[in-house]
Amino acid sequence: MTSVIINSHIGSITLEAMLPVVFSAEPPAESGVWLCKVCFERGRFYRIEAASGAGKSSLCSYIYGTRTDYSGRLLIGDTDAAVIKPEQWQQLRRMHLAYVPQELGLFGSLTAFENIELKNRLTGYAERRQIEHWLERLGIADRADWPADRLSVGQRQRVALIRALCQPFDFLLLDEPVSHLDSVNNRLAAEMIATEARRQGAAIISTSVGNPLVLEDAKILRL
Amino acid sequence: MTTSHILLHRLLRANLSPWRIAGFIVSNLLGLAIICAGVQIYADLRGLLHSEGNVIDTGYLVLNKRVTASTMLGDSRSDFTADEIADLKAQPWVRGVGRFSASGYEVRAGIEQGGRGMSTMLFFESVPDSFVDVSAADWHYEPGQREVPIIIAKDYLTLYNFGFATSAGLPRVSEQVMSGLPISLRLSGNDGRQMQLTGRIVGYSDRLNTVLVPESFMNWSNEMLAPGASGQPTRLIVDVSSPGDVAIAPYLEAHGMEAAGDQSGSTANYLLKIGAGVVIGIGVVITLLSVFILMLSMSLLLEKNRPTIHSLLQLGYGFGEVSAPYRLVVIIATAISLICAIGAVALLRHAYRPALEALDTPGASIWWSVGAAVIVSVISLGINLWSVRRRIYAAWR
Repeated sequence: MTSVIINSHIGSITLEAMLPVVFSAEPPAESGVWLCKVCFERGRFYRIEAASGAGKSSLCSYIYGTRTDYSGRLLIGDTDAAVIKPEQWQQLRRMHLAYVPQELGLFGSLTAFENIELKNRLTGYAERRQIEHWLERLGIADRADWPADRLSVGQRQRVALIRALCQPFDFLLLDEPVSHLDSVNNRLAAEMIATEARRQGAAIISTSVGNPLVLEDAKILRL
Repeated sequence: MTTSHILLHRLLRANLSPWRIAGFIVSNLLGLAIICAGVQIYADLRGLLHSEGNVIDTGYLVLNKRVTASTMLGDSRSDFTADEIADLKAQPWVRGVGRFSASGYEVRAGIEQGGRGMSTMLFFESVPDSFVDVSAADWHYEPGQREVPIIIAKDYLTLYNFGFATSAGLPRVSEQVMSGLPISLRLSGNDGRQMQLTGRIVGYSDRLNTVLVPESFMNWSNEMLAPGASGQPTRLIVDVSSPGDVAIAPYLEAHGMEAAGDQSGSTANYLLKIGAGVVIGIGVVITLLSVFILMLSMSLLLEKNRPTIHSLLQLGYGFGEVSAPYRLVVIIATAISLICAIGAVALLRHAYRPALEALDTPGASIWWSVGAAVIVSVISLGINLWSVRRRIYAAWR
């Protein structure tokens, strides 16, 4: 099963009547995602709009294999996510799924550059010049040697975005990636991410409660 | 080591407490050293007890029925029935049973030396050759042969030399001199048949407290002089698999049997076993505690570092890579305590080596304790590596 996933691209991620267990008592009436059949296709951009507490971080965690507290079915390619083993998820995370969680998951004791390098050494994907270029582009090159816990939230969001690009991916999951960025930086980040996603032929699934990543041609879904 | 490995180790080693690891090393070292010392001392001393020729220490018991008023009156049997022998053979501590055969005729033995002679009534017994502890070249008999080899208990010569000879003003004789003396034997059967033979002492037994002749001679002479005598033995020699077994004494008591000879060797062996058991037991308990100390330390460390581990797994790092620094700590700590424990036992052995040499025993190989230490360490290592793995997987979700 995984040899298919590992060796080729994942063409789609399909949600079939999924619902977080916590919502089972009172299922949302007008959701365009929960309890619906939704198919995210490789190569397309999606924006998921939601109010706080509607379960967007849960959705990202489900797709990334971190949580399983849902009913319904989730297909990664043709494979039911429920049967994917931990070791196989680790391979998916190196080769096919990139993720910027809302809490970012940066290591405070490492510098911004070391945080990026920790991922890039694992995948051997991006050249050092490329990483420096991205840092430059998002205006944080002068913060590269700062410990991550001394950066502002906006700066840390940009470090996490660059880190997510340091791997091959078919789907890029972004959980409120630019909530602390101004419109200029939002646009710069969106351009950079979209360029890299198009180059890889990948999909972007980005969530937002109000300050969305400005992706052109993004299909908008209401959670 | 690559940069990312350095980063990984830096992240994962955070919160590592050298004191807790040192606590494990010291307690594990203590436990291992005690186990090793127990095993080594037992192995060394076991050789000492087993090297003596004593009946009990070599694992042989000579059994007879207890003589009571009823056996004296002839109400109950003083010989062993076939059922009793079969039951004895079925006991778990019995490796083999040999029957004592007694001569069914009268024996008169005489020695003549320098014109002075003396003679005495005697008896013969025989046991299967495998139970005889004297390896004499002459210990065999062909039917009809004139000279009969005899083995007597060492105690008999001692009794003569230091009891009888002293009081009767007779010269003392050494084993060699005694063996050189021809003994004239006159065997008289019930029907008046007589036989004149020569006996020669070929060995002295620590194990068998009797006057022993080869089984082949016994069969032949009984056939000639006492045909049809009772076949049931009155004494048995038992090869015991574990001398000092607590089951032996109650069994003998219950079946009205007695074991001949000094049983202090058996008690010593038993006490050595108990002593070694207690020491090894204490070592095992301390080792177990040390394993728990390391397990708790690693659990605490992994719990404190759980967010880091979780984030690394989220990045896509493999379970093996993330657990590597912790496994390394466990392996190094276990190896240090193992090496130190072996060193400690080697020192201890060096200290009591002169005592072993004074007792004229070679002692056992040091590999006994090294083997025990390695086995215990491998088990402890396995438990801790498994515990680390479990914690890492728990941090995945």
